[in-house]
Formats: sequence, structure tokens, C-alpha cells
Amino acid sequence: MEYIGNGFLKAILLLLHGDAETFSAIYATLKVSFYSMTASLVLGIPSGFLLGYVNFMGKHQVRLVVDTLLSLPTVFIGLMMYAFLSNRGPLGHMGLLFTLPGIAIGQTILALPIVIALSATAVEAMDYKLRTTLISLGANRMQILLSSLWEIRHGIFAAGLTAYGRVMTEVGISMMVGGNIKWHTRTITTAIALETGKGMFATGIALGLVLLLIAFSVNIMVSFFKKKLV
Amino acid sequence: MDYPVYHIKNLHHDYGEETILSVDELTIHTNAITGLIGPNGSGKSTLLKLLSFVEKPKKGEIRFKGEPAVPFSAATRFKVSLLTQEPYLMKRSVYHNILYGLKIRNVAGDIDAKINEALNWVGLSGKDFFSRKWYELSGGETQRVALAARLVLKPEVLLMDEPTANVDTESSQLIRKAALKAREEWGTTLVIASHDREWLYDVSDHVLHLYQGKLIRSGLGNFFVGPFNSREDGLFEKKLPDGQHLILKKPIANLSSIAILPSELVKLDLMESALPGLASIKGIISKLLLEKPGRQILISVQIGDIQITSKLPLDTVKTNHLYPGRTVWVSFDPDKVIWG
Repeated sequence: MEYIGNGFLKAILLLLHGDAETFSAIYATLKVSFYSMTASLVLGIPSGFLLGYVNFMGKHQVRLVVDTLLSLPTVFIGLMMYAFLSNRGPLGHMGLLFTLPGIAIGQTILALPIVIALSATAVEAMDYKLRTTLISLGANRMQILLSSLWEIRHGIFAAGLTAYGRVMTEVGISMMVGGNIKWHTRTITTAIALETGKGMFATGIALGLVLLLIAFSVNIMVSFFKKKLV
Repeated sequence: MDYPVYHIKNLHHDYGEETILSVDELTIHTNAITGLIGPNGSGKSTLLKLLSFVEKPKKGEIRFKGEPAVPFSAATRFKVSLLTQEPYLMKRSVYHNILYGLKIRNVAGDIDAKINEALNWVGLSGKDFFSRKWYELSGGETQRVALAARLVLKPEVLLMDEPTANVDTESSQLIRKAALKAREEWGTTLVIASHDREWLYDVSDHVLHLYQGKLIRSGLGNFFVGPFNSREDGLFEKKLPDGQHLILKKPIANLSSIAILPSELVKLDLMESALPGLASIKGIISKLLLEKPGRQILISVQIGDIQITSKLPLDTVKTNHLYPGRTVWVSFDPDKVIWG
């Protein structure tokens, strides 16, 4: 039990003393998650809106695929990314293997179905009377799209937070695509895996607590904006 | 050339295989108040949605001021507004709900004053309601705020679907007053669907009756929806809610259809009297209303929970002392009944 207590203590010390290695992992984590979340939200919200709002041929099948992709294992994404980005792979010439952008692409693949599926669900739950109201007030198609997204903003926030949760906590993609290179592609989760593998439980717990702290801060910010936007 | 505000030709609308609305021709003139009456599912709401260009008809054409119009067309977007039966308020404050339409029109000037004025029209004050959230309103307040959000736009056409169906008496009166004021102040053309026949007959320039998606009659009428039961003596009857029977003479092909009894053909007597073989129906006069054009009196007779309206000259009403509370016998010439 002692090492658990030590873990909490070490977490505080790591942060207070500004441990360079820890902050490098935090920086890498925040950077890749920022890239992947930006890409997922920019692509996922409009796609989710279209999937939930527009009736088109094959909609049911597309929805089925998106819902299935919610269960994508991170190691499988990591494996496929590795296969594509390695020198022998079709995208090897891009030099993305063992880079933060490479990890970010993999995390985008992980987060995108979550944003699309949950946004589409929020749109489907939207009151149909909203469209009638907006047209009655003179809105054009773009204004209907933007106003509808605004109406379901809480659902969109939930979609973003859920995706962010998966992105922040995944290990498989960061480990396989990033290679867990110290000072370069080591993220908090890969650092935890490494430290735990070395038997350094306290450091692992400390890094885990740092991860929780980041998640907590993000949720506080989102909660603040949600209150502001009611 | 002055075109009517709406001209509809060969309009057909359906949801899947079920025809919801089929109107051969309909003209609605500028500045008029048109009432729509019909039972649930008769196509009133669909007609209003098509007239507001929220939906596009499957077939046929709607001309707006002489020009063919479709949803989002520039000619109608800022001119026509629909108030639905259960209006939706966006998840924002009352102020921002009313502001929405002004913003997309880029209206300049004292916006707060305009919003306050619109709220005053429906009996609400800006001071109390500007910052209220959508979930802090009662049903009647929601309906009034939704109407204010449309009135602030000064629409050329205001379409109202059962605007007073789910609200209290005070809200109902304020909504009616505000709608009529819009017509007086800006010449807004009003199309109103309502079950409140007396109100519609009172305010409308003409009343259209819809049944099973078709315009079956304009003007004042009483509608009896089937099924009608055939009797041993060859007549047909419909049992009224209070146990009395409406007996009809003319044979009908489809016993599930609708019988229309024009109000001007309904006779009221203080003693039981009817054509031989046909019973008259006993009821109580519940309301008198001065008809807008023609200065005749509309007399509502309550029979159980249904109403029959009769249209009589003022002199007849005076001579026979046909006042609310009196028991009367309703009769009519069954040969004049129109079958729909």
C-alpha cells in the first residue's frame, strides 16, 4: 500500500519541482491531443450533423459502420498506422512514423467515429419543430445548420469530451506509432506503461494522477463554458 | 397588376402513400383573414406548412403574389411566418428568441425597443421577460413569446395553427388581439386554423372547411362525420353524444363520409317541430354572435358536447326571443344536406 501513497506524493513533487521529463510527456500529450481533437471536431461535427439530419441512400449502412468503429481497438489502429507509415508501407515516404503528427493522425482515426456518432445522435434527438421555427423566422440553409448545432451544443460538448477521454487515455497508438521516444514522442500514457514495466509504480501512479489532473482541468473549462452558453 | 397573396393550383401533398392534402384551386387575397376549419387530420397544419414554405408540395404550384415560390425563395423568406400549434422556443433567453429573426434580417435601430414593443403586444413586459430562459415560461407565455418573435418581424403573411388551443383564457385573448392588431397596423394577411369556430366566424373574411385533405366548402357550416347507421325505415342516423339521433334522409353511398349542414338552413324553434318522419334535436342556445358581413346573427346551440350553428336574421332572433340559455329545437330540410 505504501507505494500508492508514495505515488500521490511523487505526483505533487513532480509537478511542483517542474520535472523536465514529466513536463516533456505532458507537452507531447497535450500537443497530439490538441491536433487530433481539432481534426476530429472539424471533420466530425459537420459529418455527424449530416448523418443525423439528412436522409440519403445508404444512411443506415453508414451509421452501422460508424457505430462499429466506436469499438476500434487502439492497438489495431496503431498496428495499421505502423503498417502504412513504416518504410515498407504505402505512406512511408511521408516520414510520419515515430512523430507526434503520426500519433495525432492515429488518434484522429480513434476519435472521429465517436464525434460523428454522438453528434448524429444529438441531431437525431433534436426537436423537429426547430427546423420549422427557423424557416418561419426566415433562416436560410446555412443559418439552419448553425442554429441547429447551437441548439444541440450540450450534445456536441458531450461528444467532444467523450472523444477527448479516449484520446487522452489511449496507449496503443502512441506506443506503436510514436515509439515512446524520450523527449520526443513519449506521452503520459506511454510513460506510465514504461515506468510500470520497470517496476516504478510510484512514478506510474504519479503520471496517472497528472493525466487525471489534466482531464479534470479540461472538464472544469468545459463546464464553465457550458454554463456561460445556457 | 394586383395579384392575390396566394394562388394555389392542383396542389397535392402526401407522406408516403397517404394523401394528406389535395387542393384543386385556392386563392387568398392580400390583407384578408382566412379561417381554416376541419377535424383533426383534415390537412389544416399541412396546408399552413405549405403556405409558409416550410415544406414543398409533392405536386402542384403555390404562387406568392403571382410568382411561383418554394422554400427558401427570396420572395417569401422574410415575408411569411408560421406560428405552429406547439411553438418551439430556442434554448436561449426570451430576448434572444425574439432577436433571432431581426438579426438574420440585419434590422438596425433600437432593437431593445422593438423587442419590448413586440412583447407588449402579447401582454408581456420586456423588463420581466427579456432575460427569462425558455424553460422558465408557462405554456401560454411560450405561445405569446413565439408570437412576439413573429410580430417583431412585421410579416406580410402570418399563418397561425391553432394559436389558442393549449393556452389559458387570458393568453388566448391576448393572442387573438395581437393577431388582429397586426392586420390593422401593417395590413398583415392572416390565415388561421382553429377549432374555435365562433372566433373564426367572427374575425374571418371567409372560412374554408377541410376534410380528409380536401377543401369541401367555404362559408358557415355544421359538419357531422360518419359513420352513419342505416335504419329499417330506409333513413340514416348518427347517434349524438347526448343520446339523441341526427336523422338524415338522403341515401348515401359511403356510410363513413361526412354530412355538411349549411348554417343558413338550420331552423330553430321554441317547440318541437320537424318534417314528417324526421325528429328534431333538442339543445340549448349557448352563444349569439353578430356575423361580420351581412349583419346576421350566428346562434350556437349546444347539444351534449357538440355545437350546431344556425344563421338567422336579427329580426327572427328578436321575435322568437332566441337568447342564450333557452331550450330550442333544431331542424332542417334533410334534402339540403351536402354529402362530402
